[in-house]
Amino acid sequence: MRKLLVIAAVFSAAVVVGVGAVIAWPVKNEVASIDQPGDPQRGAYLARAGGCIACHTNWEEGGKALAGGAPLKTEFGTFYPSNLTMSKDAGIGDWSVQEFAAAVRQGVSPNGEPYYPAFPYPFYSNLSDQDIADLWAAFQTVAAVDEPAPTHEVGFPFDQRWGLKLWRGAFLEPPRTKPIEGRSETWNRGRWLVEGVTHCGACHTGRNFAGARVLDEKFRGYDGLPGGGKSPAITPEALQKGGWSVSDLAYALETGIMPDGDAFGGSMGEVVTYGTSFMTDADREAMAIYLLNKEQDG
Amino acid sequence: MKLKTILAASVATSIGIGAVAHTGATGIVLERMQAMSAMGDAVKSVTPIMKGEQNYDADTVRKAAAVFEEHAGTAMTELFPEDNANEKSYVKDAIWEDWDEFERIAMRLETLAQGLSKAADNGLADEEAAQADMGSMMGGDTASMMGSETSGMMGGGSAETTLAEMADMPADEVFSELSRTCSTCHTRFRLEKD
Repeated sequence: MRKLLVIAAVFSAAVVVGVGAVIAWPVKNEVASIDQPGDPQRGAYLARAGGCIACHTNWEEGGKALAGGAPLKTEFGTFYPSNLTMSKDAGIGDWSVQEFAAAVRQGVSPNGEPYYPAFPYPFYSNLSDQDIADLWAAFQTVAAVDEPAPTHEVGFPFDQRWGLKLWRGAFLEPPRTKPIEGRSETWNRGRWLVEGVTHCGACHTGRNFAGARVLDEKFRGYDGLPGGGKSPAITPEALQKGGWSVSDLAYALETGIMPDGDAFGGSMGEVVTYGTSFMTDADREAMAIYLLNKEQDG
Repeated sequence: MKLKTILAASVATSIGIGAVAHTGATGIVLERMQAMSAMGDAVKSVTPIMKGEQNYDADTVRKAAAVFEEHAGTAMTELFPEDNANEKSYVKDAIWEDWDEFERIAMRLETLAQGLSKAADNGLADEEAAQADMGSMMGGDTASMMGSETSGMMGGGSAETTLAEMADMPADEVFSELSRTCSTCHTRFRLEKD
């Protein structure tokens, strides 16, 4: 009996020490200084393409730009997209560009806290220093709103943020944005957008018990989106079967119109209205070419 | 119930909307689906033109605009009476909880339909001008982009296009805005099919 108690005590101590170690584990990698000047127009373009504006603005409630988005109801709890305005207290006004880079590319807050993967930072991790500088310059133009977004409503155990460090260790994968030799510049541009900044996989790929994308199911659609939404498969095979051509897909990303004359509803309607409709024809076509795995229209 | 079904089927057949009738919808829900189908067909009639895949034809654009206008505004809102809330359809309750917003979008569609009609003779946007726009956007100056400064691009308030402005715009740009209005309404108020 006594022996058992000792074992239990040692075990508990090990767990405490282990958890303590995880809590103390710094997940942030140092960001080298980013000194180059940013181009706010290019940054705004990335903020549109990347969904920063779509998700961090509460359009339905007529919220101010980037002052915090509509709640995302998930099986883990309700997440409130944060205030990304220049407010020093409620937003990101007192951040440095390095802190901004760590938040966007690494998913770690200025005080070292890991973000929930409701924020699609894994898709942004290959953004260059120039991309970050441009985004940062664009965010400087956003009027401060001094009201913070509500705190996430997440129950135990998901409210234990240190657990996200384990999540990162188990599931964090770099996005596959690097160009593939032998493919056209357009296809590779589409790849950079689709696999990275526009993060199509965040909604069109299934997720596991821990809310991590199952990479073997990439682009095969998912029926567990926040708020109970569903996304269709967008593999080249599925798109072709659905009658989508490159020009159909590029046009849908501009207008929301599908080949059957219907217009997108659900969250895809918002993706188009607040995101992809602001992109260039050339970029939308590149995305369509990459998604359909073609080299040109058709 | 059976009689109702037969009646609905015969009404549907007699006015030639077989495809919609297959859903078994009756009454106002059926009217709604007919209106939406008519607009969907109008969208399909102009999409190849707007994409530049078919020769531009102002009459086809005006005809489509007339269909959108016919079904927009109060013609649209009248199809969604609140006492109809329990009937099985693809409507979200949000439409009645946020009626003002639904009305606003329906009226906006009407204005855009009128704008599309006025813009029909303007043809498509000049590709070269569009390329120049793109150049400034990606190339590094802070000139206006798609008609808006960085603040507009960053989600800041930009004024709605007026009817007078639409009359001077390329038809495909008015049509894009119109179609996104369809999307906005679907996102807010339509349940998505399985």
